[in-house]
Amino acid sequence: MKNIISILSIVLVIIFGTTSCDKNKKKATGELEIAFEHVWGMDETAFSLNTDYVHPMNSEALNFSTFKYYVSNIILTKEDGTQWKDSNSYYLIDLSKPSSLSLALSNVPVGTYKSMTYTLGVDSLHNVSGAQTGALSTANGMFWNWNSGYIMLKAEGTSPASSSGSFAYHLGGFSGQYNIVTTKTVNFDTEKLMINNDHACEIHMKASPSYLLCNDAVANGANVMMPGARAKSLALDFYSSVVFEHLHN
Amino acid sequence: MGLLYQSKLDQIWSRLFVAAPFFAWLFISSCTKENISDFQAQVPAYFPKPNYTKHIQDYTKGRFELGKELFFDPILSTDHSTSCASCHSQTHGFADHNVRFSSGIYGRKGVRNTPSIANMIWYPAFGWDGGVNHLEIFHLGPLTNEVEMGTDMNGVLNRLNHNQNYRDLFKTHYGVDQISDYELFKVLTLYISQIQSFQSKYDQYRQGKVNFSLEEQKGYALFKSHCASCHSEPLFSNFSYQNNGLDSIFGDSGRGKITKEITDYGKFRVPSLRNVALTYPYMHDGRFWDLNEVLNHYSEGIIENSQNLSLELKKDMNLSNVQKQQLIAFLKTLTDYKLLSDQRFY
Repeated sequence: MKNIISILSIVLVIIFGTTSCDKNKKKATGELEIAFEHVWGMDETAFSLNTDYVHPMNSEALNFSTFKYYVSNIILTKEDGTQWKDSNSYYLIDLSKPSSLSLALSNVPVGTYKSMTYTLGVDSLHNVSGAQTGALSTANGMFWNWNSGYIMLKAEGTSPASSSGSFAYHLGGFSGQYNIVTTKTVNFDTEKLMINNDHACEIHMKASPSYLLCNDAVANGANVMMPGARAKSLALDFYSSVVFEHLHN
Repeated sequence: MGLLYQSKLDQIWSRLFVAAPFFAWLFISSCTKENISDFQAQVPAYFPKPNYTKHIQDYTKGRFELGKELFFDPILSTDHSTSCASCHSQTHGFADHNVRFSSGIYGRKGVRNTPSIANMIWYPAFGWDGGVNHLEIFHLGPLTNEVEMGTDMNGVLNRLNHNQNYRDLFKTHYGVDQISDYELFKVLTLYISQIQSFQSKYDQYRQGKVNFSLEEQKGYALFKSHCASCHSEPLFSNFSYQNNGLDSIFGDSGRGKITKEITDYGKFRVPSLRNVALTYPYMHDGRFWDLNEVLNHYSEGIIENSQNLSLELKKDMNLSNVQKQQLIAFLKTLTDYKLLSDQRFY
């Protein structure tokens, strides 16, 4: 018995010794930038906040002061099917902060990737896990204080179609029938993503805030403040506009 | 038997001695943590395992004191008027000072009676409607509610980061140069995790240390047959949501506000009854001022056509006046004077 405990102690020391050595080994990794461009309407003019627009479907006059949404859980898949998952994969795209429109991923293993999977919204686990950091901090104003869960998409602004003159769509829901968390996969058909340790690769994405109201209108209700059927349809309509454009190796 | 026991002990000691380097390593790796296992070891065996154990493990005296300083500091409210302790008072079982609705910033009143925050590490969800799903996130509610402390998280973090005392304390106890909501929520949770009520006369009785009076015994028996299906021992709540027949029209939709399910309208979390004698007034809206009124309600005041009425309350309780007094005598055994006088919370 004494021997077993002594051996165990030694084994533990060895295990801890070797794990700390592993950290020093560096694998060949590179960087990836995922840039989001925002457009408006059928002709896809560049979208910006605090600008007057007329909605192409419902003809409502709209001016957005806030447009923010979460992108998370980015996974890259190699040709052989092996996957790399971004370890700190929560990003808040805030159209009032240009730096937030480009996601900088580092430590991506060098190699050729055939697809990228990403999630629009915040997975259910992180809605029920208490205090979080970074993009998931409550200081971003994207967490409901009375009915726990992330506001995964927040769009606010003004419109004459609203009786109060303003609108606010706070969209979330991470479980049950009103879950809005949406995972999408981009397949790089002709040109694969080739991560290298020489320079950062770029993936360009496009999203259109006009899609938020493509099947709805401010006149139907200027506020959504909790998960539900309307929150889900608004969010999914916007999410449908998020698409891959092109990449630069 | 004694000898055998002694030789076993010797064996254990000799093994410990051999493994000393290992234990020394363990000790060094945990040397910043002060030992509160003595307190935690007193939690009676009939208590379930808490839902939150991390904050007990992460306890250090320094972190506890930092949590306490924040708990009492109105710096956390917009107008510097309201602290956590303003509405959660040790002398009142960590509920408010016997007011129907608490006052927050600028004297604004809440709309529900402030519940006790004792024993929250055993709770599955938080608030009268269970809308808050994690103890660490619970703090966001009072901090940002417009009638409670009325801040936004950026504002409160900005204040803390401009306060050299808090900067130093968070640096020392959490190793951060910049205080974020992450550390703030962790330290407040660590503090309230220590607010545990398990040393009442009822607990002493359960552990065979004291006897109940005849009146208390009879009250306990009545409690078991009439109340315990919802107010289940030892936490005195099964944490379900029930409509206890107060109204025929709901001024507050309660749980229904969270789930939007028609079957949840008018339901509220079954409150724990620990320290209940001190936490008057009662009910989610504090409408009853004493336990007599409460028992009169359950005995003969239930509104039977109230939508979603608790099935348990469809049976007539019909308590005599003597029985009501016996029940009250029992409920008073749930007052935890050790918690009320625990100097750690002064």
